Amino acid sequence: MATRSLVAAWTGNRRREAGLLFPSLRRDVAFPLAGAVVLFAAFVGAGLLYTLMVEGASAEKLITAMFIDAIMVIGIQIYVGNTGVFSFGHIGFGAVAGYAFAIFAIAPEDKYTRIPNAPWGLADVEMGPLPATGVALVITLIVAVIVGIGLGRSGARSGSVAATVITLALLFFTHEVAASWNELTGGERAGLTFGIGDTLQTRTPIYLALFAAIVLALLFARSSIGRLNQAAREDNLAARAMGINPVVQQTIALLLSVAVVAVAASLRVYEIGSLLPEFFFFQYTLLTLVMLVVGGRNGVTGALLGVAVITAVRESARRMGSDGYEIFGLGLDGNLDWVFREGLPTVLLGLAMVVFMIWRPNGVLDDWEVDAWLWRRFIRQKPPAAAVAAPEPDALDLSASGVTVEFGGFRALDGASIEVSNREIVGLIGPNGAGKTTLVNVMTGMVDPTSGEVQLGEMGLTSEPSHSIARAGLVRTFQNLRLFSSLTVRENVEVAALMASVHRNGGSRTDIDAIVAGAGLWEQRNRRAGQLDYGNSRRLELARAAAAAPAFLLLDEPTSGMSGTESLAMVESVRSMAAAVGAGVLVIDHDLNFITGICDRVYCLDQGRMIAIGTPDEVQADAAVKAAYLGEAAQPGEDRT
Amino acid sequence: MTELVQNLIDGLGRGSIYALLALGVAVVFGVMHLLNFAHGELITVSGYAAYAAFSNGWSWYLVAPLIVVVSVVTNLLIERIAFSRVRGSSEFTQLLTSFGIHFLVAAIFLMYVGARVQTFAEPGWIADTYSVGPVRVEVFDTVVIIVAIVTLVLTAAVLQRTMFGLSIRAAAADFDAARLMGVNSDRVIRGAFALSGALAGIAGIFWLMRAGHTSPTSGINPMLSGVLAALIGGLGSLKGAVIGGLALGLAEVMLRTWLPGGAAALTQGVVFSLIALLFIFRPGGLVNVAHAERV
Repeated sequence: MATRSLVAAWTGNRRREAGLLFPSLRRDVAFPLAGAVVLFAAFVGAGLLYTLMVEGASAEKLITAMFIDAIMVIGIQIYVGNTGVFSFGHIGFGAVAGYAFAIFAIAPEDKYTRIPNAPWGLADVEMGPLPATGVALVITLIVAVIVGIGLGRSGARSGSVAATVITLALLFFTHEVAASWNELTGGERAGLTFGIGDTLQTRTPIYLALFAAIVLALLFARSSIGRLNQAAREDNLAARAMGINPVVQQTIALLLSVAVVAVAASLRVYEIGSLLPEFFFFQYTLLTLVMLVVGGRNGVTGALLGVAVITAVRESARRMGSDGYEIFGLGLDGNLDWVFREGLPTVLLGLAMVVFMIWRPNGVLDDWEVDAWLWRRFIRQKPPAAAVAAPEPDALDLSASGVTVEFGGFRALDGASIEVSNREIVGLIGPNGAGKTTLVNVMTGMVDPTSGEVQLGEMGLTSEPSHSIARAGLVRTFQNLRLFSSLTVRENVEVAALMASVHRNGGSRTDIDAIVAGAGLWEQRNRRAGQLDYGNSRRLELARAAAAAPAFLLLDEPTSGMSGTESLAMVESVRSMAAAVGAGVLVIDHDLNFITGICDRVYCLDQGRMIAIGTPDEVQADAAVKAAYLGEAAQPGEDRT
Repeated sequence: MTELVQNLIDGLGRGSIYALLALGVAVVFGVMHLLNFAHGELITVSGYAAYAAFSNGWSWYLVAPLIVVVSVVTNLLIERIAFSRVRGSSEFTQLLTSFGIHFLVAAIFLMYVGARVQTFAEPGWIADTYSVGPVRVEVFDTVVIIVAIVTLVLTAAVLQRTMFGLSIRAAAADFDAARLMGVNSDRVIRGAFALSGALAGIAGIFWLMRAGHTSPTSGINPMLSGVLAALIGGLGSLKGAVIGGLALGLAEVMLRTWLPGGAAALTQGVVFSLIALLFIFRPGGLVNVAHAERV
């Protein structure tokens, strides 16, 4: 895909042919690459500057270790930052890779002293460090696939306890295997050791790996896979309703992340020259996690800043303890023995973790990223031309028939049926608790019906997963807003457009800017969705749904909480959005002015049954509807169905 | 048969301690959705308090209540200093806070007391046994089981009969709803931390009696046992935590007896992995924390 985009770029045909993996060649490839060069130069430059100022082998060692830690932390960031799933287990993957590397890379004569009886004749294996890293990479990726399947099955998402437990289990399990399988790992005390002079002698592979890791992490964050992960991080349910399958996206992120971690672990073992189980356990987990969260786990720049800051803090604490409170000639007076002593670095790590969680849980930089900053700084964006209305699509019907849903003993829907064509706007009304939202939930795969069918044209959608239904063309909005709140307005729309270009309109691209402008959000396009006011949030949710190029838009109370004038403006918004993408609309609402103003036909639901169908006027005149609904609709108040 | 009964009693003795720890973890999880990795540090802190008291010539009869008091006070302090400030933050933030505290407490003791393991005398009766038919029973296990039962009955009485207990249970079922019904969230959370500290303190008495020493890292094992047992029991569920504790104790003893020699060292990892498998194959079935999301 990337090659094709490159060719397209050379031929100047960028807009139409840009690859699906990187929506915009300049913004998503060129700028991240430039950003990577800047970050790499700044980070490595800072490290080298330190070795110039403080000479000696220990300073060199410190900086080498910092570079390796940086690769490790970037590896963790790729997963944790983009998916929001918290993992204790990455150091566990590190342990797998570290042992695999050591066992294959250590020369047989050195293995004979520690692990002469290693199983499968591993003691006799002779291999260079590069192929050994390759073997470590493959083994670790196999483990990652297994763990990834487990995480996927457990429904891992940001904040899930299951993910914490599974990754923690990995960490403990690898540690205990490493500590007790003496024939293979040398056990808890002896461990494995490289022969003298067999360890890493040059920083070249570290530089290469570090640069590759930065490039990979930045490109991934800007790739469509990275963006889909970030959307699912912000709101898993809304992402699925958009057609994203978070499990697949997260697994890709995990594999990439673990690959970087495996390389970092191999380098770490190769550099230290020996390996004990505790090298990849709780203490190192703490160190890498603190590095990750202090700078900001949602960005590569933040991760690198964290590595540098924490390395500096730890080293100062150590030096102050041993050099009589002096670094760089800066001395401290008085008796500070009670501060500078053994254990201070760990105290500072624990303290940093707690303080940052209280003060700035997203770190110093949060998701600030150097390439995005350069992009905003140097590229002027022009307001787009008005959107062109989509050509009239082929006629298509969406229907739900005989849908019954029981929650325990409660029957929320009782044989309800509804039919919508993609050329009309249909309203669904009914008193509180009538089952309106439940019906939309059934149609979008969020609730399994006890009985009944959902059909889109010839296609059966009953009980399909939400993301498949969205890909088939049913996209919904939510009664309680569900935006991707720390993504920008434009990114919210872009994620939907990405899904559309992959699954809906055969690779042709939706004009994101036109949709953003059409929703009246052009001025706000670079603000975080979470900062929008209520009316704009509602409009953004509508725009995001429309950008998914659906055949049908299912809107759950788009005017809830809006004033009368705002609701009337919403009539226009919904009409023009639906026309722009050529979608049919099913809209739930309470506001009768809105419903009569917009709908071609109206269904009325009461206690799980359809009690009336017809034009808005007919339904309003219906006696049963009056009895069930109109009396209550006169009262202000929110539907909490 | 005799061996089985012997193991059963041994497992119940262990399990009772785990149950108390797990109940403390579950109570706190119930009110703030925090999986508290700092829970074991209560035992580190009270262990050092006990050590200091022994150095001043105190006896176990005085030290035991001291341990409970120190544990309660420490937990309240930790809540006030750290957890109260991340209340309502994401699970990610809360979890890392507790993870940080876990290391912070250990490192402070390492810094100011040293890495050395501090030993103290176990009570004289700790190794005593008596026979019931062919089975030899440790006095220690008997005491642990009796105290655990009394504690659990008292806790149950507090949770079932008092207004405070009602608000904790309500908060565990649905914290937001409980707050809207007028439950004072500050008081409930502090109460939960106090209760959790007291339970950890009682468990700590026996943990320290059996260990006979304390060190900066001695919090990690009680923390793991408490968290694992609470996970087995379903985290939010208080009854489940007790069952989880007993199950973990029995499982450990049984695994240790049945696993071949080399694998015995794996017990913790095996238990952990079994729990992970449960999460994978019964997502949501094991733990009732996955409240159905409102759409």
